[in-house]
Amino acid sequence: MNIKRKKGWEIPESQATPETVFRNRRRFLTAGAAGALALGGGAYLAIGQGGDAVAQAQPDPSAGLYPAPRSMRYRLDREVTEEKVSTTYNNFYEFGTSKNIWQAAQKLPIRPWQVKIDGLVAKEMVVDIDDLLKKVQLEERLYRHRCVEAWSMAVPWTGFPMKALVDIAQPTSAAKYVRMETFNRPDVASGMKASFYSWPYIEGLTMAEATNELTLMVTGIYGKPLPKQMGAPIRLVTPWKYGFKCIKSIVRVTFTDERPRSFWEVSQGSEYGFWANVNPRVSHPRWSQASEEIIGTGGKRVPTQLYNGYGDFVASMYTDLEKSGERLWM
Amino acid sequence: MPFRPYPLIDRAGRFAPLKAAVFVLLFVPGLWTAYDFAMGNLGPRPHDEATHEVGIWTLRFIFLSLAVTPLRELLQWSKLLAVRRMVGVAAFVYAFAHLMLYFVHQAFDVVKVASEIVLRIYLTIGFVALLGLAALAATSTDAMIRRLGAKRWRRLHQAVYVIGLLAVIHFFMQSKLNVYEPTIMAGLFVWLMLYRAVVAASAAARKAPLLVASGLAIVSAALTVLGEAIYFKLMMNVPMARVLAANLVFDIDLDPRPGWIVLAISLAVVIVAALRQLVLRRRPQLQTA
Repeated sequence: MNIKRKKGWEIPESQATPETVFRNRRRFLTAGAAGALALGGGAYLAIGQGGDAVAQAQPDPSAGLYPAPRSMRYRLDREVTEEKVSTTYNNFYEFGTSKNIWQAAQKLPIRPWQVKIDGLVAKEMVVDIDDLLKKVQLEERLYRHRCVEAWSMAVPWTGFPMKALVDIAQPTSAAKYVRMETFNRPDVASGMKASFYSWPYIEGLTMAEATNELTLMVTGIYGKPLPKQMGAPIRLVTPWKYGFKCIKSIVRVTFTDERPRSFWEVSQGSEYGFWANVNPRVSHPRWSQASEEIIGTGGKRVPTQLYNGYGDFVASMYTDLEKSGERLWM
Repeated sequence: MPFRPYPLIDRAGRFAPLKAAVFVLLFVPGLWTAYDFAMGNLGPRPHDEATHEVGIWTLRFIFLSLAVTPLRELLQWSKLLAVRRMVGVAAFVYAFAHLMLYFVHQAFDVVKVASEIVLRIYLTIGFVALLGLAALAATSTDAMIRRLGAKRWRRLHQAVYVIGLLAVIHFFMQSKLNVYEPTIMAGLFVWLMLYRAVVAASAAARKAPLLVASGLAIVSAALTVLGEAIYFKLMMNVPMARVLAANLVFDIDLDPRPGWIVLAISLAVVIVAALRQLVLRRRPQLQTA
């Protein structure tokens, strides 16, 4: 395997990678080789388990980019969640309010896919996802993911730092926030026909948060392109915040001086705010956030950590804000 | 005293098919959930799913027990009364299982469960409803009716109206954005309560129960539509007109709005009742059965 190893690589991969994932990667490589042979090109047919068999009925033009080398800077304290668990338990209200939407999500066409970059930028642009992927360096990172509903998982995302996207966009110095927007397609996403929710899904970050090294634009998972139910072809991941911040299937990135009002803030502002940083000591109005259930483990609960355990990377962004009385924890 | 299988026999000691059938059916949702749990069919958070499943069935059983009296009148089916206490006891058993599953889900952390019940108002409400159900279940035997006297017993058991209300509120408050099913339950609750109130208040209404029930079905559906719009306005600041308009959008991808479901269920009951009255009129001997 041709894996670029970053500095700080000191332990053998078998120690860092749970065995199941390690084996999955093997299987993936075999499948990839077979697919490449069959197509006679660089593309391959992902022969995935569980949810993504349908998703990948069409060869994904970016499939050749995976698996990307794993960054060893971000370590887990727990097993990676099984693929068939994490890809079949998804909050994606565009396709319905249950967590069992992975099949419904397969209706979403993800090629061609363009992302509009506008607002306070040097030059507005519309960038094709595959062109964007050529401009950035993909890497794999193991992150914990903490849902506001007190469950969590740990997954190997593949993506690129959002800072790279900010560099491409070249925002002006007036930009204070990044506002992101999901597709608006009630014709394929039947959940969006529920007319009294505030579609499309909106999320936002401060410029400091957007350029934090943890903030990842994710395009893949488990060494493969992202399945549709997880927000293909491009989504946000901010592992120190509750999961609803991680907006899926982004079509627009706007730099602005106005704090964006997110889907959940508009829908239920008393429970879900702009910051949504993980804090075990600050309860959700209806439940404790002190512990979390790790999905797919038969109900195992572990204590939740401040900033989901990523305080070393992000806490400094909030020291002043805390004094100003911002609701940092919801 | 010899062993007597009370759930299966009537007062005269004869086998009672209705009681026996209901007795068996009451186990089905619980066993079904247990089976799904054992087979791993409940997804990656099985305790959570099972807790919700059993909780929803608790509410359904409370509703069925509340529906017995109106249904008995509407359907002219006096034997129905014989299963009311059984359904009520089942509601308690499911509610208790619901709490136990929450215990399991919280990894048997007694302190946490207790503090959550105190801290989260919707859990407090649910817990009070459970205590109420426990009191009613404990006094559900013939011996307890004799001991309390029929009048006091009836007054005590009227607490089920309040318990039903608390249970619906608990269901609403635990919901995230989606209050579809609680809204339907609230609408049906309104229908049952209005029917009882109207029939109790008016002798004329007692003479035309089907007319009253169908009129109130429309009223309850309208209240459901209005209540849903008010809920979305208060909770999410959604313009009422938009929620009201959603009732007029018919799309195969969308579930019918709660108002329509309430109307369909309540009118279905009325239609079944009307058909049964027709049959009874033609075959009067059934009336004594």
